[in-house]
Amino acid sequence: MSAETIREFEALEAQAQKLLAGFIAGGHEAVAPALIQPADIYLDVIGETLRARTYVFQDPNGVELCLRPDLTVPTCLLHLERAFNDGSTAKYCYNGTAFRFQPADADRAHPREFRQLGIETFGGEDREQVEAETVALIIEGLREAGLADFNLRIGDLGILQAVMDGADMPQRWRQKLMHQFWRPDAFRAELERLANRPSAAADALDPELRKRIEGAPPADVQNILADYLEAQNIEMVGSRSLNEIAESLVLILEDARAEPLAPETADLITKYIGVNARAKAAGARLKDLMREHNVNISDALDTYQRRLALLKDAGVDVAKANFSAEFARSLEYYTGFVFEIITPTLSDKSPVAGGGRYDSVLRSCGAKEAIPAAGAAIHTERLLAAVVGAKALNGEAT
Amino acid sequence: MSERLQIALPSKGRLMEQAIGIFADGGVIVQKTGNARGYRGEIVDMPDVDVIFVSASEIAAYLQSGRAHLGVTGQDLIQERMSDWNERVSILKPLGFGFADVVVAVPKCWVDVSTIADIDEIASRFRDRNARWFRVATKYINLSRAYFAKNGFADYRIVESLGATEGTPMAGTADFIVDITTTGNTLKANGLKILDDGVILKSQACLVASNEAEWSPKLRQFQNEIMQKLGV
Repeated sequence: MSAETIREFEALEAQAQKLLAGFIAGGHEAVAPALIQPADIYLDVIGETLRARTYVFQDPNGVELCLRPDLTVPTCLLHLERAFNDGSTAKYCYNGTAFRFQPADADRAHPREFRQLGIETFGGEDREQVEAETVALIIEGLREAGLADFNLRIGDLGILQAVMDGADMPQRWRQKLMHQFWRPDAFRAELERLANRPSAAADALDPELRKRIEGAPPADVQNILADYLEAQNIEMVGSRSLNEIAESLVLILEDARAEPLAPETADLITKYIGVNARAKAAGARLKDLMREHNVNISDALDTYQRRLALLKDAGVDVAKANFSAEFARSLEYYTGFVFEIITPTLSDKSPVAGGGRYDSVLRSCGAKEAIPAAGAAIHTERLLAAVVGAKALNGEAT
Repeated sequence: MSERLQIALPSKGRLMEQAIGIFADGGVIVQKTGNARGYRGEIVDMPDVDVIFVSASEIAAYLQSGRAHLGVTGQDLIQERMSDWNERVSILKPLGFGFADVVVAVPKCWVDVSTIADIDEIASRFRDRNARWFRVATKYINLSRAYFAKNGFADYRIVESLGATEGTPMAGTADFIVDITTTGNTLKANGLKILDDGVILKSQACLVASNEAEWSPKLRQFQNEIMQKLGV
């Protein structure tokens, strides 16, 4: 969007004031983080993928900076900069422009500059309570802004973790699968590899090297490797140490010796990922699925049910909410509960609001210990478009 | 603007000689005009055609903006410079020279690594130990990102490198690289090996038409004449 009419501008401003007033009344302190942010942090927190969509530049001193691609990370940094940060619960709200590169064929629901209006809660030991309050406050705001027709979608990475923990496999494989969850194709490939050929990496080793380290005590692998490299005239290049490479070889051989993932286990994981149902029915379906496979995830399911109850208490219509096990897949920094608000006038790919729990972000931003964090943001242009109707989205209202 | 066809050719070295040679083989004789070191040229018997000599890496930009109608440049540069190259330009003909592969190469001493998936596997352990992501040195930032994304690898940082990229792992400024190679000898000399699935693009010099340039029927006719002679 290169320009907007003064009418659009004023409508957005009025909407923002109304929403912010609601969040402030809900106990969130209004903050205004800087537009220009250090680029490094974004790389560490969100990775190279979002960097490809971030406007990065160097200042005259050669420092890498960026136009913020969201407001959550700047709010985390602002929180950590505060001297009185003593670990008690802090609640913030904000409204400001975020910037993301969009491909040439992007539509008006994906502008390169958009205003994000959101809330964050840092600290707060009762996670489900904070999550329920977050959803309730966002939905209340959307209603106040005039949005009547919308759907709530929820997901829960805590259940995924519990399913993995309950499934029979080496701990290392759980980490591998969790790591790949964000990338459906890679996840499927990893699952297949563990089920059919966990020795794939060992099979790719030089047979000579494999023969020498197979059966050797792990403590000897580093020396065997050093001899092998010398005999092969291979120089040590780069920053990975001999020790790091030796450790990795030990794991590769452990994988090769391990029993392949049982077909029932692979089946359980695949079935879990396929669960997509009304929030209440999903709880029951998950219970059945786990009983069938004799896996106990009752703690995670209790958390899920408790959250639903708290959402209901907070006035959220959970009967209509939808649960999707696969839902968090496009949002890499979330660590637990996730949600999105979809409206019928905009596509599923253009939610008007979304958020969830991201317990590791503050740590990545420099906090000395993990601080629980949950929040959500409203895409204000989309909200206005959804409220005004499809007309405004097509530019006909002006 | 009068109706003149602008052709961009590499301005120096083997690439320039080979481009002019390929044109000459088809009877399209390119001559420099004015100073022999100048950057302007013409085609014998085609008075409405201008040849502009620019550095190979600039040719993609000329085609992208439409300043040149036709150009000779490597596929690697076309794909690196334009995220939407399929729409901006049409590749008319691979010309059979300027062969180079864009590859992912890692230190040879990484005996535990032979695919991108293997790098992904060790990346989080590396980060835990060294408190930073893997650094990838390259001048092919967009090609690298797209390739890693396609292969589900995200735990890296790109370090832009405009020269001597293959030396960066040895110098310690990067952990592995994405670069072009023709014989693989330079990689070997720097203690690097190509991943089994590490060939991102097999590139060669191509005759490319800009879809962004202003094309009139007359200019299309010049293009057809040239293409006919070159046997496209």
